[in-house]
Amino acid sequence: MNVVTIALVSLRRLARDRIALFFLVLLPVVVILVIGAVMRGQNGFRVAVVAAEGRFAGELTQSLAAAGTLVTSPFTDESAAKDALRRNEVDAVLLIPAGMDRTLTAGAPVELPLLTTAASGAGQGAWSAVASVVADHAATVQAAAFAATRTSASFDELVPLARSLDRTVPQVAVRAETVGSTGDVLPPGFSYSAPTMLVFFVFINALAGGAALIQTRRLGIHARILAGPVRPREVILGETLCYLALTLLQSGLIIGVGGLLFGVNWGDPLAAVTLTFMWGLVGAGAGMLSGALFRTPEQASAIGPAVGIGAGMLGGCTWPLEIVPPAVRAAGHVTPHAWAVDAWTTILSRGGGLDDILRPLAVLGTFAALFLGAATLRLRRSLTA
Amino acid sequence: MHAAFVVAAKDLRQRLRDRSAWVLGFVAPVAVALLMSFAFQGGEHFHTKVAVVDEDGGALAMAFTAFLAGPQLDSVLDVVPVTSEAEARALVDEGELGAVFLVPEGFTAAAHDGTAEPMTVLSGVDSPLAGTVARSIGESFVAQLNADRLSMATALAAGAGPVDPSETAGLRLPEQVVPKAAGTEQLTAAGYYGPAMGIFFMFFAIGFGARGYFEERENGTLDRIAVAPVDAGALLLGKALATFVYGVASLSSVALVTGLVLGQGWGPPLAVGMVIVALALTLVCLTAFVIAVAGNDRQADGIASLVIFGLVLLGGNFILLGGAPEIMRKLALLTPNGWALRAFTDLAGGAGWISVVQPVLAILLFCVVISAITVPIYRRRFR
Repeated sequence: MNVVTIALVSLRRLARDRIALFFLVLLPVVVILVIGAVMRGQNGFRVAVVAAEGRFAGELTQSLAAAGTLVTSPFTDESAAKDALRRNEVDAVLLIPAGMDRTLTAGAPVELPLLTTAASGAGQGAWSAVASVVADHAATVQAAAFAATRTSASFDELVPLARSLDRTVPQVAVRAETVGSTGDVLPPGFSYSAPTMLVFFVFINALAGGAALIQTRRLGIHARILAGPVRPREVILGETLCYLALTLLQSGLIIGVGGLLFGVNWGDPLAAVTLTFMWGLVGAGAGMLSGALFRTPEQASAIGPAVGIGAGMLGGCTWPLEIVPPAVRAAGHVTPHAWAVDAWTTILSRGGGLDDILRPLAVLGTFAALFLGAATLRLRRSLTA
Repeated sequence: MHAAFVVAAKDLRQRLRDRSAWVLGFVAPVAVALLMSFAFQGGEHFHTKVAVVDEDGGALAMAFTAFLAGPQLDSVLDVVPVTSEAEARALVDEGELGAVFLVPEGFTAAAHDGTAEPMTVLSGVDSPLAGTVARSIGESFVAQLNADRLSMATALAAGAGPVDPSETAGLRLPEQVVPKAAGTEQLTAAGYYGPAMGIFFMFFAIGFGARGYFEERENGTLDRIAVAPVDAGALLLGKALATFVYGVASLSSVALVTGLVLGQGWGPPLAVGMVIVALALTLVCLTAFVIAVAGNDRQADGIASLVIFGLVLLGGNFILLGGAPEIMRKLALLTPNGWALRAFTDLAGGAGWISVVQPVLAILLFCVVISAITVPIYRRRFR
């Protein structure tokens, strides 16, 4: 009973702190919204098209806009398009030169410059996607020009004929097939941002929440509690319970908001609940350790989030660890975050159940035990001193 | 004026005695920038491994394999050998291969007369980019074949006599996409998040400064200064100067470390300096604003947190703004950090120093607006 009372008192004090509520409730939801909106997945390569006047330029612009592999945006000014490229707003800039109609009608080839930044991967991809659409357009021009050399009809008369035949003449096709149905990274959009930000914010808020424990100590609340028939063990258990309740409440909120507002499917319920609980324990341990190690509340609320941000980044909360070099990926698994994100990936991307996440759960359990053990030793010393 | 310097020096000394000021102002942003740089080392240049499963064995299939291994695609692809389709599929599934081209039996023969089986491009769930690029490469290759077939069909339909396939063999597509360097540098994650995290952590000084003010008011330091021959202007100037110097030092150290250690230079020093100075002025104005609207140190902490996270979320410090929807890019330009990030992005992309003039003016305008809001509130509350 003492344990629950101590936990409830600490929780009540935290609930009255409007700043803490801002970090616990509002900030994670806004960050999930912002990051989820940005990471909705790329629909195609983003290409700025700077087209001169002309029939073929207009047709080509339409074909590019209709291509599924491209997201085009029209620009009238080359320098504005280059600014967009510099700012990573587009992957490449396609220049459709003036006089294209005249040149092609005369039977001469046309070069379409595609501006990309040096060694840009997306630029290379954009080139292959644009080249494919342009080649399709050029096929009808080539056909009309060839037929014009073999008949008395003019190039302009033959272009519509070539275009109509393009739809009926058998073609050598290229088809795409995706191997496997389960991925190694979280799905894009909110399904990515919600679980990763759950891992990120629960840990950061728990670390920053260590400030409350320090304040409780400083105000002499622990000393007054111990003056009654309460053992130090009960105080520590009570505080741990408070942190666990806090981490679970925040996780529940993020899961609820993610599911209801952002349509995130949290996968197998048993696996998701177990993982959430285990991460709550890790968070509670981290919070208790922060409260035990830092000397002032200011240190906990300033250094705690900085440590949490670093660990979250290293552990794959802000980018998938699959895209970083193997050494960085291995280093990431020094943090509990990487194991939690791995487990969420198994649940959300591979439809995994509890059996499939036993290993990361065991590692998280070890982290929680280590954090809670170290915090308990330290707090017991200060409580009994 | 001398008193202002004394107050500033005292504030700075006090600030730097606090380990959290060092962590947030210097250690954390540099550590995060280092982390980002290592995480994305070499990972931002698209290059993938592909394989060809040649069940055709004809000239066309061999030409395709040679095209993939040719100099044009050298920077994008590595062609690795596989023994069977099953092995290729397994390698794609494991993520060892970005894509696999399955060239079907009879591809060469059917390409010239009749309907050919399609070429299949296999890619993994986690490598959609490699799949898209591979498919486009395949389509570019067969485009000439299809164009030649269409040329023959058009000529026949237009009334020409029989056309020998060899007559179209020399044809070349009349529109070619030629990649050219735009003269801009690629914006890397480390190059973007270095300044973004530097600004984010620098903004924490708003909370420090505002809380420090109320603590000094609480413990009587301000009263003791007030009885000394120091006017209120010198006191405010001194405090503003301390915040300004801390802000400049914090962001400059991130710029220096990322520039010198990581080789991620932020741009011409003068231009970078102009942006840093403008941002540090913003820091002063925002600290004054928080002091003016808060009633005590707890409120100052809360309002500072709202201001900091509101600005960094809106300004794009947590996300690569280039990939964000247009509305978010526009909203970012309502914040000084959004303008600063635009300036740093342009400079990192190779733009000249002149490109920072507009962002610096926008940041200074933000300072003016915040000051115009702060001064009347401050006068009303503290007169």
